Amino acid sequence: MEKVFSGRIWTFGNDIDTDTIIPGKRGTIPTIEEMKKYAFELLKPEFGSTVRPGDILVAGSNFGCGSSREQAATVLSHNGVRCIIAKSFARIFFRNAFNSGIILLTCDGIQDVVKGGDIVTVDLEQHKVSANGKEFPVGAIPQNLFDIVAHGGLIADTKRRLAGGFQPEPHKELDDRERRWKGFTLAEKILRKNAGVEQVKPGDIVISHPDMFMIHDIYTPYLLDTLHQIGAEKIFDPDRVTIIFDHCMPTAVAKNDSAHYVAGLELAKEYGIEKIHIGEGICHSLMHEKKYARPGCVATATDSHTTTYGGAGCFCSGIGTAEMAAALITGELWFKIPEAIKIVLNGHLPKGVLSKDVILKILGDIKADGGQYKSLEFTGPAAHEMSMDARFTVANMALEAGAKCGLFEADQKTADYYGVPLSEIDWVTMDEEAQYEKVLTYDVNELEPQLSCPQGVDNVHPIREVEGTPMDEVYLGSCTNGSIEDLAIAAEILKGKHVPETMRFIVVPATNAVFKEAIRRGYIRTFIEAGAVICHPCCGLCCGMPYGLMYDDERILSTANRNFIGRQGTKKTLSYLCSPAVAAATALTGVVTDPRKL
Amino acid sequence: MATPLIERILGASAGTVVSFQPDWLLVTNGVAHQAVLEAQNVAQPAKVQLYFDHNVPTGDPEASHVFDILRDFAKKYGIAFHQALGSAYECLLHIVQPGQILVGGGSHASILGAAGALGIDVSPLELARVLENGNYQLVVPETLTVKIQGNLPEGISSMDAALQFLTENKDISGKMLQIIAPQWNLHQKSVFCSMVCGTGAFSAVCVEAGIPDRVLKLDGCGAMAIGPCDRRENQKKAPIFPISQLRGRSVEAGQIGGYTGGTIEDLRRADRLIQGKQLAKGFRLSVCPATSADYIKAMEEGIIEHFIDYGAQIQAAGDRSEVRQGAGVIGRGETLVTTGLYTYAGCMGVPDSSVYTASVETVIRASWTKSL
Repeated sequence: MEKVFSGRIWTFGNDIDTDTIIPGKRGTIPTIEEMKKYAFELLKPEFGSTVRPGDILVAGSNFGCGSSREQAATVLSHNGVRCIIAKSFARIFFRNAFNSGIILLTCDGIQDVVKGGDIVTVDLEQHKVSANGKEFPVGAIPQNLFDIVAHGGLIADTKRRLAGGFQPEPHKELDDRERRWKGFTLAEKILRKNAGVEQVKPGDIVISHPDMFMIHDIYTPYLLDTLHQIGAEKIFDPDRVTIIFDHCMPTAVAKNDSAHYVAGLELAKEYGIEKIHIGEGICHSLMHEKKYARPGCVATATDSHTTTYGGAGCFCSGIGTAEMAAALITGELWFKIPEAIKIVLNGHLPKGVLSKDVILKILGDIKADGGQYKSLEFTGPAAHEMSMDARFTVANMALEAGAKCGLFEADQKTADYYGVPLSEIDWVTMDEEAQYEKVLTYDVNELEPQLSCPQGVDNVHPIREVEGTPMDEVYLGSCTNGSIEDLAIAAEILKGKHVPETMRFIVVPATNAVFKEAIRRGYIRTFIEAGAVICHPCCGLCCGMPYGLMYDDERILSTANRNFIGRQGTKKTLSYLCSPAVAAATALTGVVTDPRKL
Repeated sequence: MATPLIERILGASAGTVVSFQPDWLLVTNGVAHQAVLEAQNVAQPAKVQLYFDHNVPTGDPEASHVFDILRDFAKKYGIAFHQALGSAYECLLHIVQPGQILVGGGSHASILGAAGALGIDVSPLELARVLENGNYQLVVPETLTVKIQGNLPEGISSMDAALQFLTENKDISGKMLQIIAPQWNLHQKSVFCSMVCGTGAFSAVCVEAGIPDRVLKLDGCGAMAIGPCDRRENQKKAPIFPISQLRGRSVEAGQIGGYTGGTIEDLRRADRLIQGKQLAKGFRLSVCPATSADYIKAMEEGIIEHFIDYGAQIQAAGDRSEVRQGAGVIGRGETLVTTGLYTYAGCMGVPDSSVYTASVETVIRASWTKSL
C-alpha cells in the first residue's frame, strides 16, 4: 500500500452527518453502485458526477456524525475517495470508513489553507499532510485499522483470515469476584468482564464476544451480500443473533423495501437465525423488551441508536454491516476502551419535565461532538428515580453527542425489569476509584422543557425561547419516546380534547406490546378522538420513512432523536425535537406549548 | 311504472338536460384537490366538504404540500376541512340524507346510493366550475333497475356480487342503476353501489321496491377478483375473473381496508376468519380501518389486538386504494390482493407489480397460504 499519495481536495465544514453524505431516503437503494451517485446530493449535488478516484475530502470536526449507515462510507469508497482529513470523526463512521478501505486522518489546521480543487499530499510514514506549501501533522493510525485498509477493507481482510484457517480464540469471562474489582468505569467494567481481561485503561483495544447481535432490515440486503462476498457458510452462533424488520416494515418505499424484507427472510433461513421479529416494533425497543440486551452484557447492532440499552447497564454500540458480517462469522468484535464522562443528575425532575429534556439539555451543553468516542455514564438521585423507559430515552440520545455508549447503573428497577436478583447485576455500578475524564453535574430541579431546533440535535433551547412557534405536524413515537410511559404522558394531556383541524398529529407506538397496552389503557382511543392518526409500530418518520413527510418551510415537532436537514421532509423542512409532554401540549394548541402551563 | 328515483330527485325525466344545485360538494386529495387550484371562487362554502383522506400520513413532501393547499383553501372560503377521520365516502355515507345530491371529484360517489342519495362523479375541472357557481348540469341518464335476489352464499360478499353483476351485464355504461336489495344492510349496499359503477355506469342508488329490468341471483355468485390493468385511465376495462381461475397464484401481500374492506363489518368478518389461523410466513397483511370511528369500534371489540397477534400491520384510517409511497406498498415482481378499488400498474407501489381487487374473505384466505 502506498504510504505517500496526492489527491484533489473537496472541502466540507463541521458536523457533516451521514444524512448529508447519503440521505436517509437513498439509504435503502439496493446496490451501492446505484446509490453512490447521490452522495452529498443535498450539499454538493455535483459531487456524485464529478468526484474522481483518488480524491480526498478535507473537513472540520465530527465528520460522519449521525446514523450508523455504512453506506455513508461505502458510497465514498465506491466513488473513489481514498482519504478523509478532518479535525475529528464520528466513531461509527470512523470504523466504517476504515472497514471500507478509506484512510482517515485527524488534522487541525489544513482546513484554513485549502479550498476545493487544491491538491493535498499525504505522507503516512511521516504523519503529515501538505498543501499550498504548508505542512500539518496528522494523528497516527492504529495498526489494526491500517492493516484492514492495507488488505483492501474489512471484507477482504476477513476473507483472508478465513482462508488462513481462522479459529476463534477460547475465551473466558471474568468471574463474579473479578468483575467486582474497583477502579473502573462502567464501560471498562462491562468490557473487561466480557473480554476476560483483568486490567484495562482508555485507549486499550479489547476483543469482545458480544452476547447479542442485532440486524435491522435496512441492512439485511447488504449484510447478506457481504456474508456471501466473504464466502461465509455459517455464522458463529445463530442463537446470539436477532433480525428485526422495523425500518422498512411495513414496506413503504415501493422500489426498495420489499427487497429488504426478502433479504431478511433469506438471511434468517440461510444462517439459521430463529430470533426474527417482523413488523413487531422498533428494534431498539424490542431489544430490551424481549430482554435480548441485558445488564452487564455486550450487545451490538447495525444502528447508531444501539446505545439505547445502556439504560439498563448494557454496553452496546452500533457498527456497520461489513463489521457485523465479520463479527457474526468470528463471534468477535474489537473495541477501544473509551474515556468516560460521569454525569451526575441531582434533584428531582419537576412535573412536565422529562428525561428527554435532561438529555437535550446535556446535548445542548456538550454539543454533537462533546461525547466523541466516550462513555457517558449517568448517576445521581434523578438518574435512579428515572423509570427504565426514561433511562432508555437518555441512553438512546447519548449517541447524538457522539458517545460510544450511554450507561446507567444497574439498580433494583433494572433487576425488576429483567426479573433477575439485584445481586446478579449490582456490580454494574460506579465506584469512587474509577477515573473519569470529567464530571458534569446537573441540578434537574430547575430544569425546564428543552427543544432541539433546526437544524441540528445540539441546537437546544429552553422552551421559553421557542414558545409560540407554529407547528404543522407533531410526531409522537420512535425508540426514543414511543414507550407506554411516553404515550401515557401524552394521553393525559390530550384526554377529552381535540387538536386543531389543521394540525397533523401522528402517533406511532414503539412496539406491538406497547400498542396493545395503549389500546387496553384507552390511550389509542384518546389519541384518535383527539384527532391523531395511528400508525403501526415501526421506525416511521424518525428515520425519514414516508409517515408524515413534510414540505418546504413546514415545521414538525417530533419526539424522535434527530432533526438533520431533509430527514423529515425536504431540505427546507424545519424539524424540532422535544419530550412527549411538549409534543402533546403543542399538538393541542398548534404552537410550541409548555406542558406545565396547561 | 314508478318514476325512477334519480328522475324524482332531479325533477326531470331521462334524456332531458337539468341544471341543479347539489346539496354537497366533495373535495378530497385523491385527485379532486386539483379543483381547488382551478376554482377562483366558492359560491356556497357551507355545502363544501374538504377531506384529506388519501396518503395519510403523507408519504412524500408533495402530499404535504397538497395538505397545505387544501387547508389554506378551506380557511380562505370558510369551508369545513377534515383530516384524520378516514375515508370521506364512508364518513359521508352516514351523514347524507335520502334524496340528497353530492357532486364529488372522485370515482366512487355512487357509494352514497346505499343511503338513498345521489352521488355524481365529475372531473376536477368540472368540480372547480361547480365550486365557483354552485350549479351542475347534466342529461338525466336512463335508469336500469336491478333486483338482488336471494342471499349470499357463505364466504361470498357483496363485492363478489357486484363483480358477478359486472361480468353478466356489459351494457350498463352511462346508465343509472337502481338497486333493490332489501335483504342487505347499509354496508353491503355501499360496497355494491361503489363497485357496480366500476365499468362505467353513471351512478347507483338503492330503493325499497320496483319492477326490475335485471335480476342478480346471489345463490349463483362466487368469489371474484378484478385483475391488473395497465393505466389508471383503463381501470374500467380491467379484467374480472372468478377466483377459481386464479387459484394457486402466489401473492406476497394483502390489504383489507377502505370503504370496501375496512369498515367495522368487514373487520368483524376478517376477525372471524383469522381465528385459529396463522399468517403465512412471507405474507404481509395490512389492515386499514375505513374511518377513525371504525378503528375505535374495532379496538373496543378486541379486533385490532387480534390482528396484531396475527402478525398484521395496522395502518392509519383512510382511503388506501392508491398508495404509491407509504405503508403497505409492494415491490418489483410482487402481487398484492386488496379490497381497494384500483388495480392499475403502480397503484400500490412500483409499476412492475400486480394488484388484484377481491373481497375481505379472499384476502384473508390468501394470508393463510400466500396464494389465491
